[in-house]
Order: sequence, then C-alpha cells, then structure tokens
Amino acid sequence: MSHHVTSADIAINGDHLDKSKVAKLKTICLGITAVGTIISLLGLFGVFGQWFQGTYAYSWVFAYYFFLTLSIGGVFWTLLHNVSNSGWGTSVRRTFENLGSTYPWIFLFGVPLLFPQVNQYLFEWMNVHRAGAEAVSGGHAKDMKDYLHHTDHLLYNKLFYMNIGSWIGRFIFYGVGVTGVIYFLRKLSTDQDTDPKPGLKRLFAARKHSTYTLIIFALTITFTGFDLLMGLDYKWFSTMWGVYIFSGSALNSMAVIILVCTYLKSQGHLKHVTTPEHFHIMGKLLFAFTTFWAYISFSQYFLIWYANITEETSYFLIRNTGNWNIAMIFLVFGHFVVPFVVLLQAWLKKNPKYLSIVAVYTLCMHVLDHYLITIPERGVSLGNLMIKDGAGKVVVDGHKVFGEIAVSIPGAFWGDILAFVTIGAAFVFFLLRAIGQHSLYPNRDPRILESANLTN
Amino acid sequence: MSTTRKRVYGYLAEFKSASALYKAAEKVRDAGFRKWDCYTPYPVHGLDAAMGLKRSILPWFVFFGGMTGTATAFALAYTTQVVIYPTIVQAKPTNIFTIPAFFPVMFELTILFSGFTVLFGLLALMQLPRLNHPLFASKQFHRATDDGFFIAIEARDAKFSPDGTRDLLSEIGGENIELVEEEEK
Repeated sequence: MSHHVTSADIAINGDHLDKSKVAKLKTICLGITAVGTIISLLGLFGVFGQWFQGTYAYSWVFAYYFFLTLSIGGVFWTLLHNVSNSGWGTSVRRTFENLGSTYPWIFLFGVPLLFPQVNQYLFEWMNVHRAGAEAVSGGHAKDMKDYLHHTDHLLYNKLFYMNIGSWIGRFIFYGVGVTGVIYFLRKLSTDQDTDPKPGLKRLFAARKHSTYTLIIFALTITFTGFDLLMGLDYKWFSTMWGVYIFSGSALNSMAVIILVCTYLKSQGHLKHVTTPEHFHIMGKLLFAFTTFWAYISFSQYFLIWYANITEETSYFLIRNTGNWNIAMIFLVFGHFVVPFVVLLQAWLKKNPKYLSIVAVYTLCMHVLDHYLITIPERGVSLGNLMIKDGAGKVVVDGHKVFGEIAVSIPGAFWGDILAFVTIGAAFVFFLLRAIGQHSLYPNRDPRILESANLTN
Repeated sequence: MSTTRKRVYGYLAEFKSASALYKAAEKVRDAGFRKWDCYTPYPVHGLDAAMGLKRSILPWFVFFGGMTGTATAFALAYTTQVVIYPTIVQAKPTNIFTIPAFFPVMFELTILFSGFTVLFGLLALMQLPRLNHPLFASKQFHRATDDGFFIAIEARDAKFSPDGTRDLLSEIGGENIELVEEEEK
C-alpha cells in the first residue's frame, strides 16, 4: 500500500464523466436503436411477412432477455451491497446502480411480447387459450376450464398460473416492481452526493429497504425466466430454472461492471477510490459465479438426465440434436472450464486490463448460453409449420419428412443479429446516459474512505 | 560456578499499537531483513505487504491436490462401474458417457483432497505441530495473545548484529527490547 487515502483525496463535488467524450458513441447507439426498433416493430407486426414475423419473434426474446439479465443483475448487486452492509464496494456501488437503472428502459423492449401478433409464435399455450376463449364465446364449451379439460389436460392443471390475464398481470409487475426498487435506491444514493450534511440516514435507509425488495428481485428474475423462456415450451419444466437464469445474470452483470470500471479508470476517473483490490474482489465474484453457474446448470442437467422423464428430457433432446450438440458441449468447456482455470490466478484478477478480457469472454459465453436457451425452440415450434395466405397459396412451407424434427430454420440467424444489435445499442446508450448523470462514485458516502483503503 | 553457553534466538521488541507495528514492519522490511516475524493478538490487514512477504506456494499444492482428487474419483468410479462391474441403471450407458453420474463423486473428492492439502500443507509449511518455540523463553511474549504487538528479528539473519539491530528496533519505536536466548534443555 503506497498511500493511505484520506478525505482530502475525495472530490468534494464528485467525480463526473466528461459527457462530450461519449457523446459520439451515444449518438451512434441511439441511431442504431431507433432504426433497429422501427425495423423490428414492422417485422414483429408482420410487415415483412409471416416468415420473418415468426422467426424474428424468437430473435427478439433472445436479445431482450439477454440484456434484461445484465440490467437486472445491476439491481441485484446494488441490493446485495446494501443488504450485506458491505464496505468494500462503496466506491464502485454507483456503477452497480447505473447498470441497474437501465432496467426500465430495457424492459420496455419486451412490450411487443404482449401482443398476440408476436406471442402466437412463441407461446403455444396462449394459442390454445385463445381457441378456448373462442369456443367459450361460441357456446362450444362452458368455460375455459371445461374447454381445457377436454383438449389439453396439462394446461387444465396449469390454468391457475398459465392464463393470459395473469401472464399480462405478472409482466406488468416485473416492469413496475424492479423499476421502483432501482429508482428509489439510486435516488437515495445520488441525493447524498450534493447533500451538505450527508450523515448516516441514507446508509441505514438503503440497508433497511434492500431487504424486502430483494424478494421483488428474486420473484422477477425467477418468474420472467418461467414466463418468457420456460413458457416457450409449456410442456417442459425445470425446478432449477430460476436459479439457472439468476446465476448467469449475476455473473455477467458483474462482467459488465468490471468493464465499466476499467473504462472509467482508463479515462482517469475513480482515482484514489478504486485500487487493484477492488478488481480483485470483483474478479473473485466473477470466479465464484462462474462456478455457481456450472454447479446449477450441471445439477439441472444431472437431475433431468438421471430421472429420464419424458416431459423433462425434451429440453436437452432438442439441444443435443444436430449441431446444437456441438454448441452445448462447447458451453461446458467455454462457459466453465476455461474461465475457471483462468480466473484461479490472483494476479490476473488484480489487473483491470486482463480481467476485462476475461469479462468480455464471459459475456460472449453468456450470449451463447442464452442463444441455446431460446433459439433451439424456434426450429421445433416453427420449422414444421405450413402457413397459407387467404388465396390458399403456401407462404411458409416448413414441412419436412414426416417424423423429422426441424432443428433450425435457415436464414433466421440474421434476425438474431439484428435484434441483438438493436437492443444492445439501446443498452449501451442507456448505460452511458446513466453513467454521465451523476458522480461516478458516492463521494459523500460515510463508507467511501473505508472502501478506498480496502485490502483483502 | 558452571558456565553455560546459551544460543541467542534474536531480539524481541514491543510496539504500542497495530499501526505502529505496521509502520515498523515496513522499516524492518526496507532494512533488508529476511528472518523475522510479527506477532499480534489478531490478524492485521495488509501486514503481509508491509512485511514484504511473498505469496505462499500453498495454492499450487492445493491445485494439484484437488486435481489428484478429481483423478482418483474418476478412476475409482470408472474402474468399478465400467470396467469391473458394469451395471445398466435407468438405461444409462456403461462407458465414458456415464461420466455425469461420476461428477458428484469427482466433485466431492476434489474438495476433500483440496481440504486435506490445505491442512497438511499449511502444517508442513509452518513446521507445525511443534512443542516449543524459542520465543516462549521471553517473559513478556505471552502478551502477544492478549494486547502486545511484537516484532522478533532472528540472530540467524545475515543482517543481524547485536548493537545495530537493537538500535534499529528502538529507532523505529520498539519498546521493552529484549535479547531472547534459547532455554537450556
């Protein structure tokens, strides 16, 4: 330790990002988002035909959920920092909050999923329910329960949870709940920056209100995973799904936090308050969640593989068919073995540059992970569809040899890239915007000196 | 009158507080001593850097200990369940693709072997257990477990000199400086 940080080293009015430095990047990102969103909305509502509409719906869920996990992970780290009463992370806490504050914006990209034009391709159970609603209004069935009782007994049993009304209700809760949490906590934190008498009250308030709000976070990450991803195949279920989604989310939001901190440090910000020790701790968290992800994803695989129950194995059967198998095996080594061995080195975790390279790599693996969660469903859901237009002409001919499963849809890959770039540019834009809004670290937090002089 | 020649262990000096000890340790480090140690009632953060301690070799032992555990478990499970006594359970294959079923054992033995390597590697590196330590001859040393902060510089160190080292210790704030001699057997 070369220098003991004292209050003289802390910028009294905060350490602000020079907005002109990122203005150009922000403009580019906003432009990409605007153009991409317009094309996407046109596509999702059928302007470019049913083939694009159907395949792009899956691209949209993939890209949307990927960036949602990053944003909600920022909320998680903020909550965890507050509720665990920790002192080490005060100097990087603002980055947690900034990442979390992108949640409301990223969440809005999911609004198209509420419309039948989009979700008819994604969630087959909704189509059954809509047919049921028609049957009920046509007098062919007493009520929805009666209809499902005779058509799909699984959906009959799941009616209390899987019905369109409560699905929309839950979707609204996901948006409002976590948005409220992060807005409140971030405001509590940023108000302190300019308060001439900061005191301890905000520290205690943040700790107190992070307890029950952690439940809102847990419900959101678990049930968005259920509703948006597991619901792609309503016959399939896994009790480890929520934890699995969470482990990837916590891991990769930490990767984003590391990248942001490294960037800010390279621009001469966060001086005195972040040291290699902070990167060491963040690297350790990255390491811990790499292992946690492997533990959870293996446990999920292991239980399904061992029990060998038809409803459960479908998930891995699809993903072990055709070339998906290569990607799944690559995930085992790429998402776990390689980062595990690399992150064992302590010196590497203390070096922001090397740690950032690992963080970028981890994010790439997260893309693959979420691609394998969402996209293989597209082949089996849409690959065998035959759609005719009003005149009886075949618009989409997905028919293959009887009994053969379409594992993927050729050409749909470009839609995945478009969706990813669109929402990704929005993510970068809102993240940069949040970073520029306030001081880059909570300069009047009572624990800032404790954090700056961290040793571990 | 019998003359006994006692072996000198080194100087023991007391410091007022953890921070005084910390600053003194930096100076002893900068003076180039190698065979010396700090004794405190509780762990002091950053003291290893102040003492100029190198990173322990223990993690490497643990890494290879853990790997041995993984390999042992795999060999154990594979030999018994594939080679010697292949049993088909729930239509699972009896070959290398049964490996997911071995993972829990491989994981557990990795942890077990790592844990053992930590414990026994640590004891070996610290040369523990031992029945006595030369510093126990000092009357004030027992306070290292209560409220005393001590630095001991061993006479074995190449830089050690009877006067120079004592002067250094008093210069950097050491009190109750004592020349510790090993007790006669």
